[in-house]
Amino acid sequence: MGESWTHITLDQHVIIRLPSEKCKIVHLRLNGSISLGKFGAFNVNDVIGYPLGSKFEIYYDDETTEDVEDSKKKNNRIAVGKIRLLSGIDKKLEQLNGVDSSENNKELINLGNDIQKLSTADIEALKKQSVSSDELIAKIIESHGSFKKKTAFSQEKYLKRKKQKFAKEFTVDYLSSASLLDYLIDKGDIQRVMDMSEESMGLLLNLGNIRPNGTYLCMDETGGLLAYFMLERMFGGDNDSKHTGKIVIVHENEHVNLDLLKFSNYSEEFIKRHIVTISLLDFFEAPTLHEINSNFTPLSKEEAFDLKGGKKNTYYRKLKWYKIQLEIIKCATEIEYDGLVTATTLNLPSVVPKLSERVHGSRPIVCFSQFKETLLELSHVLYDDLRFLAPSILETRCRPYQTVRGKLHPLMTMRGGGGYLLWCHRVIPAPEPIEEPEGETAAASQTENAKKARIE
Amino acid sequence: MSYFTEYKDVIQEGDLALIWISRDNIKPITIDVTATFNTRYGSFPHKDMIGKKYGSQIAIRTKTNKKFAFIHVLQPTPELWTLSLPHRTQIVYTPDSSYIMQRLNCGPSSTVIEAGTGSGSFSHAFARSVKQLYTFEFHPVRYEQALKEFKDHGLLEENVIITQRDVCANGFTIKKGDLTSVTFSDTEESVDIGANAIFLDLPSPWDAIPHLDEVISHNEKVGLCCFSPCIEQVDKTLEVLEKFGWTNVEMVEIQGKQYESRRQMVRTLDDAMERLKDIKKRKLEGVERRKRQLENLENDDGNIEDEEEKKILEPQPLTEKTKYNPFGKGSRIREGDSNYEWKQVTKMETEVKSHTSYLTFAFKTMNKTRNEEKVGILLASLSKKK
Repeated sequence: MGESWTHITLDQHVIIRLPSEKCKIVHLRLNGSISLGKFGAFNVNDVIGYPLGSKFEIYYDDETTEDVEDSKKKNNRIAVGKIRLLSGIDKKLEQLNGVDSSENNKELINLGNDIQKLSTADIEALKKQSVSSDELIAKIIESHGSFKKKTAFSQEKYLKRKKQKFAKEFTVDYLSSASLLDYLIDKGDIQRVMDMSEESMGLLLNLGNIRPNGTYLCMDETGGLLAYFMLERMFGGDNDSKHTGKIVIVHENEHVNLDLLKFSNYSEEFIKRHIVTISLLDFFEAPTLHEINSNFTPLSKEEAFDLKGGKKNTYYRKLKWYKIQLEIIKCATEIEYDGLVTATTLNLPSVVPKLSERVHGSRPIVCFSQFKETLLELSHVLYDDLRFLAPSILETRCRPYQTVRGKLHPLMTMRGGGGYLLWCHRVIPAPEPIEEPEGETAAASQTENAKKARIE
Repeated sequence: MSYFTEYKDVIQEGDLALIWISRDNIKPITIDVTATFNTRYGSFPHKDMIGKKYGSQIAIRTKTNKKFAFIHVLQPTPELWTLSLPHRTQIVYTPDSSYIMQRLNCGPSSTVIEAGTGSGSFSHAFARSVKQLYTFEFHPVRYEQALKEFKDHGLLEENVIITQRDVCANGFTIKKGDLTSVTFSDTEESVDIGANAIFLDLPSPWDAIPHLDEVISHNEKVGLCCFSPCIEQVDKTLEVLEKFGWTNVEMVEIQGKQYESRRQMVRTLDDAMERLKDIKKRKLEGVERRKRQLENLENDDGNIEDEEEKKILEPQPLTEKTKYNPFGKGSRIREGDSNYEWKQVTKMETEVKSHTSYLTFAFKTMNKTRNEEKVGILLASLSKKK
């Protein structure tokens, strides 16, 4: 059947890509059905077991009777169709085979809607008759008065536009961290994740040296998307991963916000194993062992077993609290982290140097920000602090191209933004070297001198 | 354990470490208690590093002027290694390599093919994250160099297999008798690769793409990235990708930039005006003084011959130059000098890598079907439970 990151499985969140280039996140339930609005609806069981990335077409015949509520418009029922697997290879060429085209567009006159002999009502009627999308598009082309006068390239474009509108096709893809970001961009929710881009996250993961066996300190103000990017790199969607890596997330509110992780396919148990959350207050003013021990003394197993009724409940509640406190002490005072990764709008010079105290020497610090200026301020502070080596501000942008052969060029528009990164390494300043007997007297301001002599 | 896959606490004898001298001077060394690391500022004995934590700064006094000089000892990471690297070929830089790894969803369930190995920079980044890396190098000398390097770095005992091969001519299948780091058991004849991510950094990827079907995983969506500097290469690649059933083709370019953090002095209009007024005032004073001197000279009938006496008549002005100098003109001001006000600014690096290569991504699923029988049984049994 394959793994949940290679094949479509039950009880899984997947991203569905529609012909309109929109996307949708759905949860696949046994015997459920999923509505894709004007593109139709399908039964979940029909897609289970196919490889993720498979493309399907919805079709209707005499046997299709069921329907499902439209996810967008209530009271609107959408007929659940049957599905057939598509090859994934575009059929555009076949469909245009045998259709004449023009060398250029000199005979093409813009007549607006009059050129199309089918009216909107006609098209709606055809759709109601459950004609396949290919047939429908073929009819539309047939009824187009000057289709033959278009150039081959413009015919292709026309066909693509019609497909985006009428093709009853969909692709079921793995809901990777990048797909989740795609979905948020599509929904116009990008501010929620601090205007991040896939390329910035990719760079962050590499510069942060994120590995399956590391323990990372993290601030994530992106609702868990940053954490999801890290989890995917560390564990690749495998709930049974043997890797021991951990992310300790420090948060500014009383409760952590990792809402977006609910779309991931990691089990609750897995997340418990690999993510620890601590508030800033608990992290910087962690209780002492003495304090918590004076509040609670764990009993031996036998003693706990002998407790009765209410006392037993109270004991286990307190034991849970005790264990959490121990974990807080460990994360806040004992662990030397393998990296610090932040995406926060808190004032960075106030938070990053303090968090970095818990980072092991030679380990990277990577801070993401929507704005270069906040990183600039931070970089000046870190530059004057001997515990940080070579802070750099980085930007990466991905420029997509049109990939039509013979017509390769950058797309005319692309998303702006994407944020910036600050990268440096935590280092341990040396104590003063011992004065050689014949040496000159040490300078008054030793650190100042030391900085100047830095071989840079 | 590889120096790249294990987090080390302290510097130990035999470790591969990176010595950070400056941003563009990072040197790999193998820690050896008897050895010394020499710079033009002085010598750093390895024994002073051993036992210290990674990331430690090591300080000495320079021989010449007894000032402090120091270095940092870092544990290598693929990104630091990329900065320190002995270049055997043009390398794939971190903005590109990180994006490619992200787009190909690299993680512990990835099996990756890389061709060619080149300077081995990207190999290190792949090796950190993936289950298994199969890297192919055409050039025999570069193969030997990379083989030795991967061995020294502990990558071969982890998850890297390197093979000397012209993949365009001979494909990717690794067989007994090939020049490769694989050790075959008696019963094995070839390696079952089953890659789900492929990176082709070759002059003619279109010659290699037809061979991929033999070595890619059949049961999942497989991702491919071709890295080509010229648009003509992309065009030829697109043709072959379509012919061999690769879909979701997308081509992009990555632009990475680095900024320097700098400060610019805040110089206000008021101060500039004030300074001009000051200059004007002093100029006027000077003119008047000279006028008076001239007048004095004219009134003087040659009686005052003594130069000394002249000076008494009209004393030379005091050195007023430094009286109003809000911007520290004429003296060397350190950027950020606390006697002045500064605005924090960024400056783009003087030379940017404006084009590295085009990245052409494509995907392919070999076996698109599902096992109807198995799925049927599963769904039926689950439905019953409910």
